[in-house]
Amino acid sequence: MKIEFQVNGKAVNVDIAPTARLTALLRDVLDLKGTKVGCDAGDCGACSVIVDGAICCGCLVAVGQLDGAKVTTIEGLGNTAAGARLADAFLRHGAAQCGICTPAMMVSAAVLLDQSARPSRRDVEGALGGVLCRCTGYRKIVDAVLDASADDENSAPALTPQRRAAVGHRLARLDGLAKVNGTEVFGADYVPDGAALVRVVRSPHAHARFTIGDLRAFKGDHSGIEVILTAADIPGHNLHGVIAPFADQPVLAETVARFVGEAIAIIAGAPNCVTGLDLSAFPVTWEPLEPLQSPAAACDDQAPRLHAGRPGNILVEGHVERGDITRGFAEAAHIVEGKFTTPYVEHAYIEPEAGYARRIGERIEVHACTQAPHMDREALALILGVETEAVRVVPSACGGGFGSKIDLTLEPFIALAAWHLDRPAYIVFTRGESMRASTKRHPSEICARVGCDASGRVTAMDFDGVFNTGAYASWGPTVANRVPIHACGPYFIPHYRAHSQAVHTNGPTAGAFRGFGVPQAAIAQESLFHDLAETLGMDQLEFRLTNALDNQQPTVTGQVFAEGVGIKACLEALRPAWRRESAAAREHGHVADGSTTRRGIGIGTCWYGCGNTSLSNPSTIRIGLTATGQIVLHQGATDIGQGSTTVISQIVADALGIGIEALDLVGSDTDLTPDAGKTSASRQTVVSGTAALRAGEALRGMILRQGNAGSDAEITLANGTLSLCEDGIARVIELANLETNPHGYVLEAEETYDPPTTPLDDRGQGQPYSVYGYGAQIAVVSVDMLLGTVKLERLIAAHDVGRAINPLLVEGQIQGGIAQGIGLALMEEYIPGKTENLHDYLIPTFGDVPEIESIIVEVPDPRGPRGAKGLGEHVLIPTAPAILNAIRDATGARIRQVPATPARVRAAIEEAWEND
Amino acid sequence: MQSVQFEAPGTVDEAVALLAGATGDTRILAGGTDLLVQLRAHMINPGLIIDIKKIDETRSLTKNADGSYTIGAAYAGAEATERDDITKDWPGVVEGWDLIGSTQIQGRASLGGNLCNASPAADSVPAMIVAGMTANIAGPKGRRTIPVQDVPVSPGKTSLGKGEFIVSFNLPGRPKGGGDAYLRLIPRTEMDIAVVGCGVALVLDDSGTVTSAKVSLGAVSAKVLVVDAAAKAIIGTKLDDDALAKLDAACQAAAKPINDKRGTIEYRTKIAGVLARRAVKIAAERAGS
Ligand SMILES: Cc1cc2nc3c(=O)[nH]c(=O)nc-3n(C[C@H](O)[C@H](O)[C@H](O)COP(=O)(O)OP(=O)(O)OC[C@H]3O[C@@H](n4cnc5c(N)ncnc54)[C@H](O)[C@@H]3O)c2cc1C
Ligand code: FES
Ligand code: FES
Repeated sequence: MKIEFQVNGKAVNVDIAPTARLTALLRDVLDLKGTKVGCDAGDCGACSVIVDGAICCGCLVAVGQLDGAKVTTIEGLGNTAAGARLADAFLRHGAAQCGICTPAMMVSAAVLLDQSARPSRRDVEGALGGVLCRCTGYRKIVDAVLDASADDENSAPALTPQRRAAVGHRLARLDGLAKVNGTEVFGADYVPDGAALVRVVRSPHAHARFTIGDLRAFKGDHSGIEVILTAADIPGHNLHGVIAPFADQPVLAETVARFVGEAIAIIAGAPNCVTGLDLSAFPVTWEPLEPLQSPAAACDDQAPRLHAGRPGNILVEGHVERGDITRGFAEAAHIVEGKFTTPYVEHAYIEPEAGYARRIGERIEVHACTQAPHMDREALALILGVETEAVRVVPSACGGGFGSKIDLTLEPFIALAAWHLDRPAYIVFTRGESMRASTKRHPSEICARVGCDASGRVTAMDFDGVFNTGAYASWGPTVANRVPIHACGPYFIPHYRAHSQAVHTNGPTAGAFRGFGVPQAAIAQESLFHDLAETLGMDQLEFRLTNALDNQQPTVTGQVFAEGVGIKACLEALRPAWRRESAAAREHGHVADGSTTRRGIGIGTCWYGCGNTSLSNPSTIRIGLTATGQIVLHQGATDIGQGSTTVISQIVADALGIGIEALDLVGSDTDLTPDAGKTSASRQTVVSGTAALRAGEALRGMILRQGNAGSDAEITLANGTLSLCEDGIARVIELANLETNPHGYVLEAEETYDPPTTPLDDRGQGQPYSVYGYGAQIAVVSVDMLLGTVKLERLIAAHDVGRAINPLLVEGQIQGGIAQGIGLALMEEYIPGKTENLHDYLIPTFGDVPEIESIIVEVPDPRGPRGAKGLGEHVLIPTAPAILNAIRDATGARIRQVPATPARVRAAIEEAWEND
Repeated sequence: MQSVQFEAPGTVDEAVALLAGATGDTRILAGGTDLLVQLRAHMINPGLIIDIKKIDETRSLTKNADGSYTIGAAYAGAEATERDDITKDWPGVVEGWDLIGSTQIQGRASLGGNLCNASPAADSVPAMIVAGMTANIAGPKGRRTIPVQDVPVSPGKTSLGKGEFIVSFNLPGRPKGGGDAYLRLIPRTEMDIAVVGCGVALVLDDSGTVTSAKVSLGAVSAKVLVVDAAAKAIIGTKLDDDALAKLDAACQAAAKPINDKRGTIEYRTKIAGVLARRAVKIAAERAGS
């Protein structure tokens, strides 16, 4: 069908199927890739475009309905005054993190600003409410839109930091421009000409044996299929796993599928043919086996073993023990205990996995959204049976990861197809495929007991956590090891025993998700602390201060820090807000005024070790000076929206003593950047940041030595000359006279940092991390006692980051982490087969994230760069327990199973009434 | 996938002729917010799609001389909220309609689509039913008008015959002393499927006594329920505690929900009663104003 309409003011005349969706027309035919596709079902709003002045989801518009219409996309918005104001405001406010939702947020905001010049906060939330964001927690987006609509005088100007003052500056992210003008290239945004499309055949069963049938006949029946690959076609090892000793996952299952969605074959060929293939016709015979549904079933003696060498289906156990809990409980005046349950939680980044690969002679190049390029490279080399040097991984912009994009997902499929076909191959996961195939947060069942003496000092804690690690190992060992170390929270507990198990089932593979099991453990610990304080009749905040860990006190692994323990400072920082909100809650809440809502407040806290647990996890950073006077920073830390590119640049600029604008950035690419490790475990600021600081200082030293200048000399680089100015005297050095090294630099510094840790002994004693970060949050809620609905009124968060390298980004992390914590507490539960989309799997929207007051606490840590500690994961940990404690405070009901859905809250309220 | 024929007729007669001539699966397209999702998920595979948005009758909302309204079947919720007349006369009807999805969805979602998609949780339907709305249907045998509640039959099924579609709806004028309301419960603040929905329309006399009432419940049965016993419980009362308790009990008795992750049977049943009490209070307040 021929359709004529306008896009961004230009006439478009196409012949296209009338049922094609507008997004497909924009992206695939007109090459306007600024409009994103996150779900293809109206749920995420990433595809928002303006049609005849109204905002709508491009994925729900059939092009047949467009004849004569005027369509505006992010690409068209850039040319308008409102578009420019919005772009500027989004940058200044840090309203774009990964940036995948940003074009949709901006076009939705443009329609609003067109209709009302001075919208209210509520108006903004309503107008943008159809667009999901998983990174920012929405508050900064609302601020940015309000700013863009305000009079110019009121908006905060962007400032460039002074020399030597980049650290601590509220610098807008350096990679932000492409995110706000829609030109950022995410995994699905570039496909080389002539690339083959890859599709993955997946198991519909949680556990089944299978036999593949006549592939030749299937291929013959479908012209356009160029190759079908199964386990037998993998040139190297059909095995991968993020922790080498535990590698147990086949790229393509061989005879048994162990979870719903496990890949058994890939099909590649001409996109127009492969897109429409009905994969249910793929020749395979399934023989379903009894699936292991839960850790309890998996541990049963009669249960089948999913992996050889793992008796009881137990992957790993973790253990930490200090003092003598029998004695500790004997000394206790009060003891509380409880059993807590958490479900599978989906990362729900807005960008489904996508990317392409191409073969160049005997090398393979993979361009995909990943959090761990160097790990991918090593794994792909093993799978393809080639040398590591033969693999190049170039991360595309990553539309959210939160841990899941560390594990291999699409990478081996595109690499295998491109390798076999010797032409480029690409893949774009559907939303359902992304949810089925990717890792999840570990479901947990935790039994814990805590005792304290009459004065409120905790004497003992006992903790048993069983974590469902799903079909394959992934990061299960990390979760099992991290949890017993962190389950005590940031407290001094003299007698302690914590045990964890990661158990295989036929559920989705559980992997890394912001916090590696610690958020689940914190729910148990903080709930029990609340109940203890309540039993004692002691103020919640004072109870925590009484027990908070201090400098010179041993942690549960026996580690003693001379300085840098920041939990008391966080709790003290919350005290004014705690007093104010307590008073307000008493006033609003606990009176029987006929109203059915009750207000309550609660606290949650966290501590979190930055970097791998007791394992080497080095980062290397290289900085070079060219003969033309350019300073080039090679940093391989992938920025998945959290801001490491900006933070590392700030550290380097100050270490060198140059303006940050003078840095040329070379982003993550295994051919161009040394290994900065994976973006996880809140390690990039601390580990890569330290390597960057040292590399910056080293290069500065080399530069100064060129002119025998003293340490305070001012460096100026211009047009191939270096001048060093000291006490008013300038020495000029012609850089062209210096020799150039193989990297093309006249001077180069490369530094590696590996945080010092020691292994844990049998009782879990040792130094698992060199730096911990700390935090505490207050949640204020109103609960409708009859409906069981929980409305968040406000959150106040105090986080000790040691030194805020960039306060704007710190706030962004706090707000984004809190939004995910809200999801964990109130609505998120992944059920295979039932919630494989974004309307049954609910994540918080604008209206679910209340006002957030961030208090940045700085207790410097001598082992972090400029005193900085990590933050990325910490922020999510206190939120859920704070909310559950606030519900308890408001209603008397104790929720021990998350999410606290209205049905569960109402049932718990009824139980509390009965016990009254 | 077979290739689809796509037509956008300009009149009802043309649409009827196209429908009559069609063999195989044919679908009406209004806002497309349900239809495109179903197409994409390969839940349906029609040979012909008829876009009714080029037909004026489906795209207008008119207040008639007698105070009643004629609402085009493809008129969008976002458009209705801009109209002072209907938002003042029938706030409950507009509330249900405007709760559908986000701003992105509201600009397209129609009453005809919401009703004919026949979801038991459809948000606009309870309020349409209690307001006494009827649907004007065109088809091969001419036109007919039936009450809205007779359109959905079971999840995904309607009573429309082959070749029939809804052109528009009739909404009566607001009676003197009349008020309506729609409330729903969802776990998230927006964009979610109702766990329970409740529509109420009632009329109060000068003394504040309920002279007529209708109560309906969504998402607690295979189709939207009209609960006569609940209406009876409040007719003739001044909405005292006793009457509200009876209303609550009647709604709980009528509700036959299912268990799913959004809510248990027990919970949904109780909530039906709570929402009914609250919706009645809002409708009564509006009736008094
Ligand atoms: C993200 C999202 C959120 C949503 N949220 C909600 C919600 O909160 N509450 C809710 O109730 N619904 C919700 N929906 C569902 C949907 O938006 C509504 O049902 C909407 O009213 C459908 O209207 P439409 O015009 O888009 O229908 P279409 O998709 O065009 O049509 C829907 C169905 O009705 C048929 N049809 C349409 N018009 C007619 C007619 N005049 N005569 C006969 N048959 C017809 C079509 O053939 C099709 O089968 C949501 C959908 C999405 C994608
Ligand atoms: S892609 Fe259209 S709403 Fe998600
Ligand atoms: S910034 Fe919104 S989804 Fe990442």
